[in-house]
Order: sequence, then structure tokens, then C-alpha cells
Amino acid sequence: MIDFLIGLFLASLIVALFTSRLYRLLFWYSLNSLTLGLLALFIGEELDDKAMLITGIATIVIKAAGIPYLLKYLSQKFHLVRQIQPEIKVQYAIILIPAILVFTFYLSEPITHMIRSGSNDIAVSISSLFLSLLLMMEHKNVAPKIIGFLCMENALFLLGITATDGMPMLVELGIFFDLLMAIVVINLLLHKEEANQ
Amino acid sequence: MMLALLIFPALMMFAVSFFKNKKAKFLLPVTSFVILLPMVKLFMLPKPYALWGSYLVADRLDTYVLLVSSIVGIGVTLALLTLEKHVRVSGNAYRRFYRFFAVFWIGLIVSILANHMGVYWIGLELATLSTVYMIKTNHTSAAHKEAWNYMIVGAIAISLVLFGIILMYASAKPVLGEDAMQFDLLLAHAKEIPSPFLFEMGFAIATVGMFVKMGFFPMNLWLANIERASFYPVAALFSGILESAVIIGFFRFSKIAMEVNYSHLFVFVFVYTLLTIFIVSFLIFRAKDFMRLFSLSGVEHMALIALFWVSGGTFAALLHFGAHAFLKPALFLSTGVLESNGKYRIAGALRGYVGKRGTMFWFLVSLFLLAIISLPPSPMFFSELYGFGAMITVAKESDHMLAMIGAILFLLILLSVIFYRFVAVYQSMKYEGKEEEKHVYTSEIFALLLFALALMALLLPQTFSYLRGIA
Amino acid sequence: MIFYLFTILILLLLAPLLLSFIKALKMYLLFKKPVSVFQGYRNFSKLMQKETVISEESSRITRVAPFLVLSPLLVTMFFLPPVVHGAFYVSFVDAFTLTGLISLSTFFLMLLGLDSASAFGGMGSSREAFIAALVEPAMVLTVFSVSMMAGDLGVGQAGVNLAMHFPKAHMASFLFAGISFFILLIAENGRIPVDNPETHLELTMVHEAMILDLTGVYLAIIETAASVKFVIFASLFASLFMPFGLQYAAPAAMLLFVLKLFIIAAAVALIEVNTAKLRLFKVPNLLGIAIVFAFLSLITFYVLGA
Repeated sequence: MIDFLIGLFLASLIVALFTSRLYRLLFWYSLNSLTLGLLALFIGEELDDKAMLITGIATIVIKAAGIPYLLKYLSQKFHLVRQIQPEIKVQYAIILIPAILVFTFYLSEPITHMIRSGSNDIAVSISSLFLSLLLMMEHKNVAPKIIGFLCMENALFLLGITATDGMPMLVELGIFFDLLMAIVVINLLLHKEEANQ
Repeated sequence: MMLALLIFPALMMFAVSFFKNKKAKFLLPVTSFVILLPMVKLFMLPKPYALWGSYLVADRLDTYVLLVSSIVGIGVTLALLTLEKHVRVSGNAYRRFYRFFAVFWIGLIVSILANHMGVYWIGLELATLSTVYMIKTNHTSAAHKEAWNYMIVGAIAISLVLFGIILMYASAKPVLGEDAMQFDLLLAHAKEIPSPFLFEMGFAIATVGMFVKMGFFPMNLWLANIERASFYPVAALFSGILESAVIIGFFRFSKIAMEVNYSHLFVFVFVYTLLTIFIVSFLIFRAKDFMRLFSLSGVEHMALIALFWVSGGTFAALLHFGAHAFLKPALFLSTGVLESNGKYRIAGALRGYVGKRGTMFWFLVSLFLLAIISLPPSPMFFSELYGFGAMITVAKESDHMLAMIGAILFLLILLSVIFYRFVAVYQSMKYEGKEEEKHVYTSEIFALLLFALALMALLLPQTFSYLRGIA
Repeated sequence: MIFYLFTILILLLLAPLLLSFIKALKMYLLFKKPVSVFQGYRNFSKLMQKETVISEESSRITRVAPFLVLSPLLVTMFFLPPVVHGAFYVSFVDAFTLTGLISLSTFFLMLLGLDSASAFGGMGSSREAFIAALVEPAMVLTVFSVSMMAGDLGVGQAGVNLAMHFPKAHMASFLFAGISFFILLIAENGRIPVDNPETHLELTMVHEAMILDLTGVYLAIIETAASVKFVIFASLFASLFMPFGLQYAAPAAMLLFVLKLFIIAAAVALIEVNTAKLRLFKVPNLLGIAIVFAFLSLITFYVLGA
């Protein structure tokens, strides 16, 4: 089941790379976060780690529901461009994405030997880190860049969950706090954009 | 208790920033000055002093950094008093600037005092995000673009740091369990880490993140553009305070990495900083305005600090750090006056000052300009002397002595390029161009005097002995 | 042996039903009065009775091709994985053979379109060639990857292996292969994001353009071939990507299998209702995603073993 969720995590990110509509992108981000939260719940259940269960629930509530909803609200409020055509053409992306995946899978091979549990989770999280960087690169608009940043956060979270069997509770909550702070700042930046026009 | 005292002025500032009447304009700087008091108190306390369990621990290194930062903060606040006289800024934006300044302080205090990788990261992220809005105080489209730029690139850099932290945590977790995020425990048990490769990988990634944030090799002009687009006090904050939060993370991480594998660490940082200085020196040579010039020179000095630190010249690195943290904000703050006749006029920038304040201003600025290129008696002169000494010691012990000495000579050549450029800039400022009248305000003189006094305090024997005690 | 033949018979019988079911479900979801699910059979019998008219321009190929379109598909039916435990199955046929047989059928369909000597036929054939060229590599990769996970290159054996001991460790690559195969199922059968089977608008039609000139028995054969193709893909999807229920007693397993086919048909209908047809030049993007996922599934399996 964990493998399935990890596959879904990567799959939703790859589909997000090909998306050319903002709301669809938000949906894929939400799915991405949802799988992450479920993953945290499953692993937490397995390890009997209360902290991870809490983070899993927080992920689902904040990242899978709250942030996409908020971003959708903001994009409506500030009339963001909703047609987001990737700058990298699809035919190149088809070559680029598998290349990145192969590269990162082999790159993470020495690391995966050193971590006892969930070796392929680390490879997936590293590759999704690179893919979310690609997501930030291939768009010129601001909104997809934000989503790329949030996806990167997700990838790091996945690494935190799988590579280390969960970080200390305080750190995870702190990361959530910073994420909310980021949303506030994004809101302010968008706000000023409106005032300038 | 002490922690509450530390954070209280920042919270006060945050609260006061919501007041809309005239008084807020005077209350905000006052609360900003008050920040110094608990820092001094903390500086006096016996070390190590646990502020909050094992998460926030004050030791000699971080209290020093914090003290330096708070002095810079006061200088910046002094300059902020007359910000509106040089540039157009609305009252609302001014208050909001202070609001985020308060958040910035909280993030900074947390990250500097942190004895825990995760807490350090949280503080750093908070400080980074709060600076985004400060860039935005300038109501131009360039500032807007750069604010987004900072948001995105800063977020990537910070994420890389978190990525590295997670890998380091994973490498040490088999030995230390949940405590594997604490710097002191990690340092004590560095030799026992079961998979050093994983730790080094994490360290390298985190370091690249921190270096990107400080404007090192691939992102050299990133910070310069941002500081160009924003108001000059923001640039001063960046170079004086935010970079100190980043560099202290580098200090702590590299301390552990030294224990794990010294030669790997040294080669990595050495090559990276050499590359950075190589590119930056030529960028400085081509810089056409003060902001970019100073900002690029800031990158160069940060690279030197990192290099001195990993060469074992702890004292040199800290002295250089302190000197840079005072000099660079002073120069950035003076750009407000220097550029009052247009952005790209280097020629004649130091001419046309009248009266006592004017004379004092140009005198101080010329001193700072000559001090930043480490002419004696600048503290930078001593720190570079000690730092290069430490590097040569390392070179002697290494297997590739000639290559190392060659690299150090190459570094010196690059530094002399920068030296030459700064001397040329100074001459152009003083002896070329038209004489145009410029206004200097008392608060700016005070800020510059404060920095000058702090620089002199760095040269006191007591400071030297304190800094030597840190290592 | 009896189960083997019985399964093939059931699949053949179900084929028109499934397509009519999709159509009915779509009409229901669009608040139209749905057609009967047995419309497929009615069409077939009506077309069988109708006179067959052949264009004067067309050559001998038009008389032969419809049979050659249907027959590779009928052969493929014999190579599908078993539905009931203990039933006879052909174990040695691999991804290449299956893809090859399906492409053979597509090839004759394209010939048929060209042979009608009308502008539409040629256009439809070229579009079909364009899509088929993109579908085949992904198809080979996907089926190959699933066969690797199952531990046997033969598709029939792979289906059995998957149902008997499901490779839980390879769940991730299994998922990627599933996504890829579903996109292929839609593309190869000319369902909505790729081709709209219900319209005769010259800008969009692919499959319809090729068979525009056919009448009577030949049309009946081609329509049957289309439905058989769908049932082949659906049953491959059911036995490779929903591998459960093989161990039940024969009637229950059979019933479950039919249920799976209907679920797949319903999923296709839902996608058809919810998406707009892609422009022809955007189709490679969709198939590109399929190729990426097929490749991803293979490398995830090989490199990560996940």
C-alpha cells in the first residue's frame, strides 16, 4: 500500500508537469498532498508513532484542502492568469522527465544503501524534488511557481517521513507554520500587484 | 524567562506597528533600540546558557553574532528615521516594514541561538519570508519583480538546506535517535556516524543551499539585483543580519563536517569559494553603481569568511565576520546619500558636502571604503592576515602543498583586482565629476558613528581574547 | 478447454453490449433518453440484412480488408489471460505478438480507408497511422513492464501470476503501468479525448472517416471489430491491472470478470462525459504522458525494484 501511495505521489507530480490549466494544477497538488498525508498515516500506523499521525492529519487538512482552496480563492480575487502553458514543449518534456528520473534513481542509489527502511521512497522523493524544480522552471507565471515550491515542500516532507522515520514533532509543526507564513507573504505580494495596476 | 525578554521587544514592535497615529513613528524606532538590551544581558551571562531546553542554547559564538546583529539593527533603525527624506515611502509601508522587521527579528533570534538543526531552519525560513515584504516596501515594478524573485529563489535555497538537514539527520539517527538534530550532540558523536557519506551528502546540499542564499557561485548577481531594487536599509539588513544567520548555520554544520571528514570539507568549500571569488572579482570590476558594487563585495567577504572558517582560522573568520557586518551596512546606508543625485553616478559622489555634518560624512565614508578593502588599521586587515596564515598552515600539512599555495596566490591576485577597483572607485568619487550639493541628516551620522565605534571596539584586546576564546 | 472457449464466446457476445453500455451511460449522464444496451446487436442484425454497395473506384482490397481487420483481433482473443482458475490458456504469447496482431488489424483498417479513394478515407488513415505510431511503443513498454513484474513474458501466464501472487513490492511501477495502459485503452479505441466515435464531423473524425464508404455486411464486420478491440483492451486491463478473483469458483469468477469489464466501460464513459476532445495535434501530448508512465514503470521496476 505504501508503494502504491508513493507511486501515486510521483504520478500526480508528473501529470502536474503536463498540465496547462491552473485549477487542474491545484487539483494535482491537492492529490499530491493527499497521498503524502495518507502515506504519513500509514507509516505512522506501522511505526506506532503518534507524532506522525498528527502530521499526517495536519497535512491532509492544511495541504490537501486548505492551501489549494486558499490559492484558488486568491487566484480568483486577483485575477491570476489561468492558462499556464509550459515553456518546455511536451515533446521535450517527454524526454526530459524520464531522463531526470533515471538520473535521480541512480543518483540516490548509494544513499538508499545506507538507510535501512524504505529505500525507494528516498529515490522517489529526490526525483520529485527535481521534478518540482522542473515545474518551477517550465512556467513563467507566478502561480505555477508557487505550486512548484509547495510541491518541493511536499517532496522534502516525503523524504523526512521515509528516510528518517519521522522528524521531531516540533520541526514538523515549525515547517507547517512557515508554510502558512509563506502563504501570508504570497497573499501580500499578490495584493500589492493589484495596487500597482 | 531570558527568551521572553529577548523576544519581547520584537513582539512590542509587531504590536506597535498596528497603531495608525503619529506616535507610532517614534515608538517603532524606540522598540527597535530596546532589542539591544537583552542581547547585552545575554552576552554577559555565563555560557552555555540554556534558553529553552536543548533547543535554544546561548554559547559564546552565537551571543557574539547576536550582539553584532543587534548593533547593526540599531544602525539600520537610525538610518530608517530619515528614509522618507531620501526616497518616497508611504506611512503605511513604513509601519508594515517594521511589522516584518519584528518577525524578522524573531526568526533571526531563533535561528542564531538554535542548537537544533530543525529549529535553526524554521528560524531561517521565517527570517527569509519576512524579508520578502521588506523588499516590497519600494513601490516600483523592479522591486516587485525582485520580491517574487527573492521569494522563489530564497525558497529553493531554503528547501535545499532542509533537504540537507534531513539527510544529515537520517545519517546520525541510528546513533542518536531523536536527538540527532542537536548540534552539540552531533559534534560530540560525529566520529560515530555510521554512514559518513550520507552525512557529507547532506552537508554538501545544505551548504549549497546556504551559499546560494548568500549569492555564491551560480547565483552571483541574484542578491545584487535584489538589493539594487529595494531600499538601501533593506540591503543593510541583508548584508549585516540575514547573512549572519546563514553563516552561523554554515559555521555549525562545518564544525561537525570537520569531524567527519576534514579533507573533503576543505576541498569542497575551497573550490566553491575560489570559483565564487573568481567570478565575483570580475563582476566587481564591471560594477557601475554602488549597490551592486557593495553587494558583490559582500559576496566576496562571505566567501572569505567561509574559507577562513574551514581552514581552521576561527578567530580570523569571526573577526572578519564582525568587521564585515559593521562595514557593509554602514556603506549600504551611506548609499542613500551617495546616490541622491541619481543611481549610476559614482564620479563625484564624495564631493559637495558642506558643513560639519557633511565633512564628517565624507570622512567616515572614505574610511569605511578604505577599510572594506582591508587597509590597515581596519579589522579586516588583521583578519585577512590571520586567515591567510591559517590557510597556509593547512596548505603545509596537506599532500598537495604546491597546488594549495598556487590557489592561495591566485586568490590573492583576485583580491587585488577587487582592491584595484575599489581604489579606482574611491578616486573617481573624490576627484572626478561635478560638485553637487547633497543633504546629510544627523541620524545618518549617528548610524555611521555607531558603526565606526563598533569597528574600533573590534580592535580592542578584550575583543580579540573573547574571539580567540570561541574556538 | 471448455472454459477457454466459453470465455471467448462470452467476450464476443459482450463486445457490442459494452459499447452500447458506454453510449447509454453517457446519454443518461447528459440527461438524454438513453439507448437500449442491446442497440449493438440490433445494429448488427440490421446491417447484416442490408444490401452491400461497394464504390466503383475501390479495388479488391475493400472486399478482403474487413475480414483481415477482424481476424487478427479474433486471434488475439485466444491469447488473452484466463478468467477462471484452471482454465486453459496460451501462456507463451508476449507483448510484441499482441501489439503486432492489433497493429495488423489497424494496418488493414488504414488500407481500407485509403482504398475507398475518397478524401475522407485517406485523411482518416493518416490520422490513424499518426496515433497508432505513438500508441505502439507505449503499449509494448507497458505490457512488457507488467509481464516483468509478474515474472513471465507471456501475457497469459503473467495474468495468472499476478492473480496468484500479487507483487506487492512493485506496487508503484504497477500503478504507473496501469495509468499508461488506461490512456492507451482510450487512445487505441478512439474514445473521446483522442477521437469521438459518435460524430461525422470532418475536422475530428478518425475511425469514422476510414469506414465512411462501407455498407452492409462489411460495415457490420468493421463495427464488430471495433467492439472486439475494446473488449480485448478491457479484458487485458481487467486481468493485468485488476488481478483478483481468479481463485473463486468458475461462475463467480466469470461474473466478477464481467463486472470488471463493466466498471472499465463506466470509467471510460465518465471520462468521455467529463473531457473535451483534444485537437489532433495535442494527441501526442496525451500519448506522451502514456509513454512517460510506461517508461517510468519500467525503470522504477528495474532501478528501484518498487
